[in-house]
Amino acid sequence: MDKINLKIYRKDPSVDEKEHYDTFEVPYVDGMVVLDAVRYVEENLDTTLAIRWNCKAAKCGSCSAEINGFPRLMCKTRIDKVGFNITVNPMGAFPLIKDLVTDVTGNWDILRKIPPFTPKELGPDQHFSMKQEDVERSKEFRQCIECFLCQDVCHVVREHYTDYFGPRHIVKAASLDMHPMDTIDRSTFLNKEGGLGYCNITKCCQEVCPEHIVITDNAIIQEKERAVDLTYDPLAMLIKGRRKKEKRVV
Amino acid sequence: MNKAVNSLIPPEFFSARFISFIVLLVLGIYLMTLYPMTKLVTGLTDPFYSPTLLILPLIGLFRLTCYAYRKDYHRHLFNHPVACSIGFRGEFKGRSYTGETRFFRVENLHRWFMYFSVAILPFFYYDIAISIIRYPGYNYVISLGTILLVINTILVTVYTLSCHAIRHLVGGNIDCYSCQHSIRGKIFRGQSRINRHHETYAWLSLSMFFLVDLFIRSVAVWHFLNPVLLHW
Repeated sequence: MDKINLKIYRKDPSVDEKEHYDTFEVPYVDGMVVLDAVRYVEENLDTTLAIRWNCKAAKCGSCSAEINGFPRLMCKTRIDKVGFNITVNPMGAFPLIKDLVTDVTGNWDILRKIPPFTPKELGPDQHFSMKQEDVERSKEFRQCIECFLCQDVCHVVREHYTDYFGPRHIVKAASLDMHPMDTIDRSTFLNKEGGLGYCNITKCCQEVCPEHIVITDNAIIQEKERAVDLTYDPLAMLIKGRRKKEKRVV
Repeated sequence: MNKAVNSLIPPEFFSARFISFIVLLVLGIYLMTLYPMTKLVTGLTDPFYSPTLLILPLIGLFRLTCYAYRKDYHRHLFNHPVACSIGFRGEFKGRSYTGETRFFRVENLHRWFMYFSVAILPFFYYDIAISIIRYPGYNYVISLGTILLVINTILVTVYTLSCHAIRHLVGGNIDCYSCQHSIRGKIFRGQSRINRHHETYAWLSLSMFFLVDLFIRSVAVWHFLNPVLLHW
């Protein structure tokens, strides 16, 4: 039977000063994913290992980790795709709780800063039905499972101490901005307070997204272009100024 | 003083990789312009001795501020980051980084360069027409140069029209297509299809741009012939 050499990052910040790696041999079964191997270790070899997982169906976004240096969902990464020598690290962009578990609370604080959905007011006999062509655009962003792999891989969030919200939160703002009923334009807010200018379009967030959301092209660039409309392009400013104000800029 | 200089000139500009790239670029342009002056040869307009050279900076700025090239040079010239994989990305904590907030804020002017690039697109088609009707000794000619110009023009057109700024203007700035903009919704979805391959078109058209200009320059100094393929 094939064996998997699994090297797992270990550190309990309340006890350990430095991290270390423990290596385990895990029996391979056809169709196995990395989460299966890590759970095998937790259940059979070292019960003190801390991991976070929930659905094992790539829908809850809990088991994010760095597998062989690449941010991925453990439950969606097949062993036969990454090889039998596997190193698993926690997400490096977030504070460590223990072993493979990180504290992603900061993301909820950022989400709270984004101006909420503000729909148009409709009269008592008015109703709004959303057509499919409008649904599709913001639906893509609502597929986000909040695994925060994009935040983890983003070099602006991970390596530079800026006020950039990060890809996940631009996607959230774009999902609200592009809703037909919403009345707020958040691009200026994102540019000024969300540090949108720090994003340099290197598209790593798009590469790691397990839901295949086209984060950079469909959310970040679209928000950047909306900010250009309001700040840098006099022609667009003129046309927008002449039109009846449809959206309130925040 | 140092801080003021840093806010104007990004630290990435002092990296050895970037400086060597600029030195090679300047040397290349200098070597290409060493040849004597020629204007129109076998129906082809010499790009180095025509008004084309004057608009080159604007075309260059359109490409430099393009989202596709931004990704490439931020990754491969400035290592911000060179790869997404942790440990291989050439990026580390404490390294100076300003993104597109200081010097690179100029990238927000991409829209202006896009307007200009769309305006000069017809001149590419004009060049094709000239290459057909101005070949000495014939009325109408399809030469190797014509074929190359057609390929180049198609690639430049597709590259320009697949731009993200155009994507925004044709429909990206609308939130409700079904309300009153259903045609713009269709255009947006169609444009999005070619926009997905914008980076491919960017590099293909840039490579073709160089090859065609080099071909014309070679023909102009008689290093290369422009054979007639069809004439009538």
